[in-house]
Amino acid sequence: MPDGLINLTVDGVPVSVAPGTLVIEAAKQAGVLVPHYCYHPGLPVAGVCRMCLVEIEKAPKLQIACATPVTEGMIVRTQSSQAKDARQSVLEFLLINHPLDCPICDQAGECELQDFVFQEGRAGTRYAEYPKRFNPVEDFGPDVLYVANRCILCTRCVRFMEDVAQEPVLNVSERGDRAYIGIHPDARLDHPWAGNVVDLCPVGSLLSKDFLHKARAWELDKSASVCTGCTQGCNVTLDVRDNVIVRVRPRPNLEVNRYFICDHGRMSYRWMNRGDRIEAPLVKQDGELRAVDWDEALDRARALLRGTRGRRGRGGAAVAIVSPKASTEALFLARRVLAGKEREHEWTGAFQVTMGEEAPLAGVPNLALRPERAPNVKGAELLGYTNGVSSALRVAQTAAVVLVLDEPDVPAHGAGALIYLGVTLPESARGADIVLPIANVAEEEGTFVNRDGRVQRYFPAKPAPGMARPAWWALGELLEAPDRPGSAAEAFDLLAGTVDAFAGLSYAALGVTGKGIGQGAGVPA
Amino acid sequence: MAIGVKVLKRPTERTSYLRATLKGMALTLQHLFRPKVTMQYPEERSTASWTISGRWRGTHRMLTDEQGRAKCVACGLCPQICPANCIKLVPGEDEQGNRYPLIYEIDEFRCVFCGYCQEVCPEEAIHVGVHYENAEYSRDRFVYDLERLCAQTHPVSTLWDPSDPKGE
Repeated sequence: MPDGLINLTVDGVPVSVAPGTLVIEAAKQAGVLVPHYCYHPGLPVAGVCRMCLVEIEKAPKLQIACATPVTEGMIVRTQSSQAKDARQSVLEFLLINHPLDCPICDQAGECELQDFVFQEGRAGTRYAEYPKRFNPVEDFGPDVLYVANRCILCTRCVRFMEDVAQEPVLNVSERGDRAYIGIHPDARLDHPWAGNVVDLCPVGSLLSKDFLHKARAWELDKSASVCTGCTQGCNVTLDVRDNVIVRVRPRPNLEVNRYFICDHGRMSYRWMNRGDRIEAPLVKQDGELRAVDWDEALDRARALLRGTRGRRGRGGAAVAIVSPKASTEALFLARRVLAGKEREHEWTGAFQVTMGEEAPLAGVPNLALRPERAPNVKGAELLGYTNGVSSALRVAQTAAVVLVLDEPDVPAHGAGALIYLGVTLPESARGADIVLPIANVAEEEGTFVNRDGRVQRYFPAKPAPGMARPAWWALGELLEAPDRPGSAAEAFDLLAGTVDAFAGLSYAALGVTGKGIGQGAGVPA
Repeated sequence: MAIGVKVLKRPTERTSYLRATLKGMALTLQHLFRPKVTMQYPEERSTASWTISGRWRGTHRMLTDEQGRAKCVACGLCPQICPANCIKLVPGEDEQGNRYPLIYEIDEFRCVFCGYCQEVCPEEAIHVGVHYENAEYSRDRFVYDLERLCAQTHPVSTLWDPSDPKGE
């Protein structure tokens, strides 16, 4: 055993944890989930729900696991009859006033009250003589509804607003069985991070208006992704129903976003569902774009690139206008397509990024909605793309070939050829010689590099429409045959082997929470 | 090569068809004087000795509340439990903020009439019916929408025998 660790036993399982660890966290390490409501690892401990009562040997009474630090030699029993009885009674109390409206409750299926009552609650109630108290539904803010009847007063939302967002607009009003979550009469729950109270709520009391009645929890397919809203790169889960993304939720990553995402990121998923997509590669024939298959489009693109390469010596250059929402692999392969393996050909790369207001989350260091509203600005910069497209556009006027990667707002067409890769066909791409349909972030896998240089993977959540393929695949096919990557992993490993900044990283080692640049094995930072 | 066939000589009274024919006709005549068991469907739909069981699982019916609205709250359990995947449900919200089904359709061709939808329904809204006359002039009429399900008037199935304590 390493020094400085405390040894204890939870349900017969020995664990060693750091001093100061709470029993509930030590139990998690032992593989035991102590039922709890008020405790949340991202919030200060309150100890109000009394649900996590466990028996600790030599303690005179049951202790709450969420507020008891571990001590040496502690023996914890979560399943003793005394502890089970206590939790059963707590559940019975919580259900006195909890309505039986699971069929219409959005939380049903992911409700902790439902789960624990099913797991260890009593079959019936002994408190049936009075009718349940009733309070109307309250409108708390732009995206939050408060259903007071379902509230179990765990105060997670109150503590989030007070200690994490540091904008204390919620409190517990009244006392006893009349208590409810109150909002300041002159305030709204409109903090840019307020949407997190919906995720924190263990029951269906705080609801997202955006998600209200949209889907049931058990219909959702979940896939790990990275938020595309800004350069912070918060880890998110995309919830998909029938191949439509219906919700974005935070995915815990202690290094980046802890347990939270901002409302901007929470709402920026609708563009992933847009229906006006390009579904087949298009090539220009007799002045018109005509749909062809991938083989023909790629042959045309390869021939076009080979043809322009010879002309570059005579003042022709290659320009890439890219979107900072593209994956690192696609950005790298776009550069490689134009600049060659050793960057031996002349090329210019640029991107532009939409700016907005910064909105920090006060209680978490280095977590904010960043002003640059794109996920891969850092990745583009590391790969040699410049921020700001004006000088690149000047070069593009005379360039032999311009490659645009999913950037609909930059009119990049000059005298030379235009290859456009995009999810939609904007006005600026109508004059393109070749248009290749690509998948969006929810339909492919890849990586983003956040502002702190953390390389994070995202995973596909739904199939791409029609013949659309990931951008890394389309660009990879434009390389010479032996270099073509067969998967996003191969594309990333090619990148890691070529670009110094990514040296030592491997796709598999990134895992689901990512790794910082310079954290690769054997490479000094 | 010819097959050797052995021909038996029998007396005429044993090889004649007359006796067997008369015997058969006697049986037929007997039936004319027995009580009738044939039900004259469709003029006659049930008889004293034959009624449709209360546990019959036929085409669906959606029960309605006092205002005539479907009792369904669009909880999504019936499409989830349906083994034939024949229920289409899109939830919505009415003017009072209540959850209700925007679209509720059952494809009766796809349905296997297991009755799970009725069993799982927490609002006792969707039921399988005691009903067997489903003929239509076109196939698309077999996708019952919410309006049609609510308009059905036939009795609903009890799924199990109420008099049998072990039934439920």
